Formats: sequence, structure tokens, C-alpha cells
Amino acid sequence: MKILVLGIGNPILSDDGAGIRVAQEVGNQLHDPQVTVAETSEAGLRLLDSIVGYDKVIIIDAVQTEKGQAGQIYHMGPEDFSFAKHFSSPHQINLVTALELGNALDLAMPQKITIFAVEAKDITTFSEKCTTEVEQAIPKLVKMVMEELVG
Amino acid sequence: MKKIMIDPVTRLEGHGKIAIFLNDDGSVANVYFQVPELRGFEKFAEGRPAEDMPQITQRICGVCPEAHHMASTKTLDALFHVEPTSAARKLRELLYNAFYVTDHATHFYILAGPDFIMGPDAPPAERNILGVIAKVGLELGGAVIKARHDNHWVIQTIGGRPIHPCFGLPGGVSKAINEEERTKIEEIAKSSVEFGKLSLKVFDDIVLKNKDYLDMVLSDTFTHRTYSMGLVDENNKVNFYDGKVRVVDPEGKEFVKYAPQDYVKHLAEHVEPWTYLKFPYLKKVGWKGFVDGKDSGVYRATPLSRLNAADGMTTPLAQEEYEEMYSTLGGKPAHYTLATHWARLIELLHAAERMVELVQDPEITSTDIRNIPTATPDEGVGIVEAPRGTLTHHYITDERGIIKKCNLIVGTTNNYAAFYMSVKKAAEDLIKPGKEITEGLLNRIEMAWRPYDLCLACATHSLPGQLPLEVTIYDAEGNEVKKLSQGI
Repeated sequence: MKILVLGIGNPILSDDGAGIRVAQEVGNQLHDPQVTVAETSEAGLRLLDSIVGYDKVIIIDAVQTEKGQAGQIYHMGPEDFSFAKHFSSPHQINLVTALELGNALDLAMPQKITIFAVEAKDITTFSEKCTTEVEQAIPKLVKMVMEELVG
Repeated sequence: MKKIMIDPVTRLEGHGKIAIFLNDDGSVANVYFQVPELRGFEKFAEGRPAEDMPQITQRICGVCPEAHHMASTKTLDALFHVEPTSAARKLRELLYNAFYVTDHATHFYILAGPDFIMGPDAPPAERNILGVIAKVGLELGGAVIKARHDNHWVIQTIGGRPIHPCFGLPGGVSKAINEEERTKIEEIAKSSVEFGKLSLKVFDDIVLKNKDYLDMVLSDTFTHRTYSMGLVDENNKVNFYDGKVRVVDPEGKEFVKYAPQDYVKHLAEHVEPWTYLKFPYLKKVGWKGFVDGKDSGVYRATPLSRLNAADGMTTPLAQEEYEEMYSTLGGKPAHYTLATHWARLIELLHAAERMVELVQDPEITSTDIRNIPTATPDEGVGIVEAPRGTLTHHYITDERGIIKKCNLIVGTTNNYAAFYMSVKKAAEDLIKPGKEITEGLLNRIEMAWRPYDLCLACATHSLPGQLPLEVTIYDAEGNEVKKLSQGI
């Protein structure tokens, strides 16, 4: 089975780099030839390019929700983002649309996609460090990703 | 009219906002536009070795890292007073044109395509890439995905990494390509030319042969007579990678042509109290407000502006299309904002043709790819044409090459004033007293700004992966009448 652990974010934009930090730490702890650990700052169609050909994909990213508390961790599937398809402009391409597009074009799409996300506090200040709340969540996220890989 | 001041501190919540205020009679009173402000890049860069800048600056933007990498690399050439070798220059330009093919294909098929292929009044659930593919067929959808995938392979092969290249160095690049790689790139380049031709045929069939669409393209609602900016070579032909910045006035007459290091003499930034945005304008014309015309310093730097600012294309098929476009639009320069989509496809074809020229150059596999800098660094400016506009990097260092100051004019920002004017004009023309504000009407207002391919930097990559932008219409009492959101 080909597995991809994909950290998404911007490593120089405070908490936005959390996903990449988690992926890097997972990469340090893991030595499994079946698992590829990668990072990207892209989404949408480029995300589709990244995940094609893998059986299982674990995505880690930072999010900002309306009522979330900084450092809060979410464990989700792509279906949790399906609201975006119906409540947003049809002209952008989101994760769900990208997956549907991949299926429509008969690309080798993953059978399972798991998303771990952490609620970000600051994603507008250029810094290589996360805020304290998000920093504290990173080891927990690493543990959750490692458990997901075993499970 | 009820006056509502928007406090940027309380109004900004991490996404772009357009607020349209109506008068008592339902006509448009005013329009405001805000985007989130990213803080502290200059401070972040200060104290770092200049050689790190091609890696750092490409992280600013989730949409066009290759453009920042290239502008930064060229800035390092200027900073260290070193010219890249001829082969290195060609490798850079080859990668950059592959990037143009991917970026322009994405914009046209994903962002712009649904407006025309599905129609502005199609239900939102159908007005997306899946609807487009359902209508035009899986074959074209597959061609889009293939063109993107193949050209990303080119970027990775030349640039050393997918998405974030790591090959740009002062005086050259870090690796050469071998004959096997060259052969594969040549195949991809030729296939991209066919893809470019196919895309222009799609545009011709779907937009130009539809009288309603062509009327919309040529309508006053989507027209602004501004100055046009673009990078040109020594013959005033379009070049994405190198050259001088040429600006033509609304009649098409050359206003100025400047070398990168002179940009501060020609550009200034206007500030409004209601937004963090700074609006660049032509310093020698001056800021006269958000107005069209020769007396207004507002300019545009879009695919159409680049074609307006140049005397033509250097490649044969793109030149033919260039002539065809201006013939159809009634001459040059053209100020029809929606024709930007057409210009974008001509640029896509040009980029693919240029790839073929470069990859067939015997020097492209040369291993003479680096001139080692020997001069003391001090100050440098580098400019490329990013897909969304002229991109300028400017660094000042100490004698060790440590950044003391940096300034960037990002592609998108060039168009902020015109973007604002386009939204305002479309809103004023389309929202009328007594007329219901429908989804289709709001989508037509969106169509006024979509050609600019506005990029809100970091925000574009965050889950669920959309550019967060919100349009709210308020009545004369300040009550929300209608809201349109994307990616929020």
C-alpha cells in the first residue's frame, strides 16, 4: 500500500506552518518505505496532482473556523468540507471538487483520505514560529498521525 | 444615504471583502474593497543572507511561487553584479514558460471557463469545473490535467523540486539538464503548443461565436481606458522573463520604458483610509482618483495589458492570434477587461511555442550554467512578468550580502485600482433601482474582477482550498441585503 503524509501550509507564516511542522516530525520518526512524507503550500488542483497514485493519504493543515479555539485539533474526512462546494463561489476549486474531478477523469485516486487540522491563531504574521497554543498541539498531532498510520 | 465607515481592524477576518452600499432608491452609492494584511515580511527578511531570498520569497504566495523564485534570482544577479551564463538564462526562461502554461491553463478552465461555458446564469452547482467537463467532454478535461501535470514535471526537472524550485542562484542555476530530459521536455513543449491551439479554438467556438458573449466582452460595463504595463524585449515584443518595463497610454502611445532599477522613479502608491491596500500608480501622471483616462495614473498589468504594451509576439502562432484578437476588438490597445481571458490564452500559446524554441536550442544541455559572483553585493532590482502582473523585487544588503532592506511590488497589487474600478462600475451598471439582485447578476459583477485573477497571497492554499472573498450588499440603512461568499 502506498501512503502519503502531506503537510499543507506556509512555513514562514506563523501558525500556517503547523501542518508542515507535523509532517516533518512524522518524517523524522518514521522509516517505512511504503510511506512518503511531503509538504506543500498548494491546494485545489495542485493538491490533486500531489495525491494521485496513493492508496491512502493523510493531510495535516491549519484551519480557522468561526468558533474554534487556538490549538484545537480536528480529525476529519473530505466530506467535512463538502459545505464549501455548495456555499461558495463555483469558480474556485476546493478539496472536494478536486477529488470529484479526479474521479470523473478516472485518475488513480486514494481510497482513504484523512485530514488532521489545528485551529490557527495567527496566519498573517511572517514568522517561522507558531503561537504557543498551536506549538503545544503539534506533538499531539504527530502522535495522532502516527496512530493513524498504524491503524 | 447612511454613511458607514468600515474599520479595517474590526472588519477584517482573514479574507477579502467587497462591500457595496446602496442609496435609498436602490442604486449603488459606493463600493469598498479590503484584503487581509500580511505583516512583517520586511522584518522577517532583514538579517538573512540574500541567497536565501529565492527560497523565502516564493513562500509568500501559494499561487505563483515560481514567479517569486525567478524575480528573486534575477535580483540576486543585479545585487551581486553578475550575469547568468547564456545556458542558465535559457534554462530559467524554459522553466518560466512551462510555469506560464500551467498557470494560464488553470485560470482559464477552472476560474474563467465556467462563466462562458456554462453561462453566467447557470445554477451555481453546475457553474464549476465539473460542469465544464460534463459539457465539453472528458477528453478536454483530460487534456487540461495532462498539460498541467506534464509542465509541472518540466518545472520539477529543471527546478529541482515540484512547486518550489531550488535552482536559481546569482549568476546562473544549480543544475543542467541531460539529453534524455531534453527530449521529454521537447515532447511536452510540442504537446503544449497543440493544447494552446485547442484552448484558443475552445474560446473561439464558445465565446466569440456567441453574439451575446461577444457583446458582453465589448460592453462599456466591462471597459476601462487605462495605461497598460508589460515587460518587453529589445524589439518591444512580449517577454515574460526579461527586458524593460514598457507603459503605453490609453491611446497606445509609449509613455515610458524603464529598466528594472528605475522602478522607483516611475511608480508611487496611493493610500485610502478605508483599506490596508496600497494602490500603485504612475508617478509622473499622478493620482487623480479611481478614474479612467490619460490624466489618471491608474494602470493595468494583466495579460491584455502586456499585449497592449508590446508591439507583438516573438512566436509565429501567437503573433497570428495577437493580430486576430486586435482585429476583432477594433484595434490596439484594447480596454475590454473580459478580453483579458483571450489575451491569456494567446500568452499560453506563446509560452508553449517559446518552450519549443528554447528546448531545441543546442545550448540548452550545456553544463556551463554558472558564473561565480566576485563583486561586493550592495543593491539590486529584478523584474519578471508574473501571470498576474509585473513583479518587482528590490534588495539592499551590506557588504556580506545580508539583507538590510527589501521591497516587493507583487503582480496582483498593480491592478488593485483597476480591480476596484471594475467592481464599482459593474455594480453601478448592473444593480438598478427596482431590479432584483439575483445570483446571475452577482455573477456578472464577479466576472468584472475575475480576469484580474486576484491573488490574496497566503490565504489561497488554506483548507478547503479557495480564495476567500466575500461580497456584501447593504441598503441605505446599512442592513445586509445580499451576500456572496467564496471559500469562507
